[in-house]
Amino acid sequence: MIRNFIISGAGGQGVLSIGTILTNIFMLNGKFVSFSPCYGAEMRGGAVNCEINASDEELFCIQNKEVDFVVALNQTSFDKFISKVKKNGTIIVNSSLAKINKTRDDIKYIFAPLTQEALNLGNIKVANSIALGILSKITDNFSIENVKKAYEKILKDKKELIQKNIEAYFIGYNYIQER
Amino acid sequence: MNEKELLKGNIAIAKAALNCGCKCYFGYPITPQTEIGEFLSGEMQKRKLAYVCAESEIAAINMALGAASTGAKVMTSSSSCAVSLMQEAISYASSDELPIVIVNVMRAGPGQGYIFPSQGDYNQATIGGGNGDYKTIVLSPSSVQECVDLTYKAFYLAQKYRTPVILLADGMLGQMAEPASITENPYPEIDNSSWILDGAKSRPAREIHSLEPSQNKLNRHIIELYKKYTTIEQNECDWEEYNCDDIEVLITAFGTMARHAKALCNHYRKKGIKMGLFRPKTLYPFPYKRLNELSQKVNVVIDIEMNMGQMLKDVRLAVLSNAKVSFIGKPTGDMLREEEMVDASKNVLKEYYANI
Repeated sequence: MIRNFIISGAGGQGVLSIGTILTNIFMLNGKFVSFSPCYGAEMRGGAVNCEINASDEELFCIQNKEVDFVVALNQTSFDKFISKVKKNGTIIVNSSLAKINKTRDDIKYIFAPLTQEALNLGNIKVANSIALGILSKITDNFSIENVKKAYEKILKDKKELIQKNIEAYFIGYNYIQER
Repeated sequence: MNEKELLKGNIAIAKAALNCGCKCYFGYPITPQTEIGEFLSGEMQKRKLAYVCAESEIAAINMALGAASTGAKVMTSSSSCAVSLMQEAISYASSDELPIVIVNVMRAGPGQGYIFPSQGDYNQATIGGGNGDYKTIVLSPSSVQECVDLTYKAFYLAQKYRTPVILLADGMLGQMAEPASITENPYPEIDNSSWILDGAKSRPAREIHSLEPSQNKLNRHIIELYKKYTTIEQNECDWEEYNCDDIEVLITAFGTMARHAKALCNHYRKKGIKMGLFRPKTLYPFPYKRLNELSQKVNVVIDIEMNMGQMLKDVRLAVLSNAKVSFIGKPTGDMLREEEMVDASKNVLKEYYANI
């Protein structure tokens, strides 16, 4: 089975960070996986996105017309990438920064106030990890060992942030069942 | 050492270069390959190797020529419009018979273009943009693992044949990440003690230059170079065949584009059309002979590239009149998606398959 993801938002929201963490988790789970960032003259606040493909078999396409899951961390990326969700696919939207608005009826929506939840946790920067937690819950239910390993690898120079991000991850992970 | 890690193509190239003994790197930053220099700037300093961020690409490659003449393994890296600046020096290095590795992580042209991925430098790399009779070995990686493997091979072939080698990647491959391992360098070291400029202590002086005022000597030199190129053409052709055992339709593609082309093959296999892929890993020497053999089995060959059809002429030269040759391509930007290739190939295939 092949699954693909687009993670999008503004520069500084940690789009590429959770993209890399997600890719690492898939790798640790023994999947074939590719990570391709949009790149360019990006700056803090500019649009950033990356596409991740994960598969049990050898993977060929690294860019797809449509994807199974989109994470949109702000309004601009919600508007831009809603058209990239496959029919019956899912979009996770940061409702703290984007209006709740269902323009398509052939996809599933998860609106979650990621920025607000992150602020409640005391660090606005971990909104991305909350989104990753939600994504984990609705996809592979990743083992926590591998999630921790991936965070430890990516945040090896910022060890003090690992615990907070994993807390945020669990807030996202538990978000679905609470509602 | 052999454990898989998540690596960007650019970082894979840099790590492989260090691992096979690159002693000197000269370069100037340009997207989408800047991570190569960025990574090496730290690592080479730690290992007390020579890293120079030059004042321009022209300076960088000429520094590489100088360092190579002393016998050091050298690399420079850049992208498209800046590789254009290096063409004169590549011609010099070919005549001087200097082993240098040039990495081109292609972006969009012509001219300044922009930083989008592209395969628009096939012609520049394989034909060469410098003056005179020379040829340059060109290797084309298709995955991050091949960025490692072909970097090793680039250094090896450069030393073995005393000639510049271009590693031709593209922006997508440079920037993307996937699991790969920095394996051991599988190639032997080449003894260069017979020609390097290392001080002439207790031996006669040597010279390396391309200037040759004697027409007889210059003719002999070029004929010798071409003997070397013939050997390279006979020995070093490398390619991948994907599902080619029972082909009815043959796809040709190189580099990153070949990955999506495999998805296209699988798409048609499911529909009962026996499609296979031929992917040259060496663009010079181009594997004409094998492609010719394969094309005898099919009615149509579809060449797919991220440019307006540059490898196409080599495909035609290989296929000759064995089969019809069609082309699908776009110059730059997002890679051709599976769906786009399916749509474009329908027009070609409906001539041979009624229910497509």
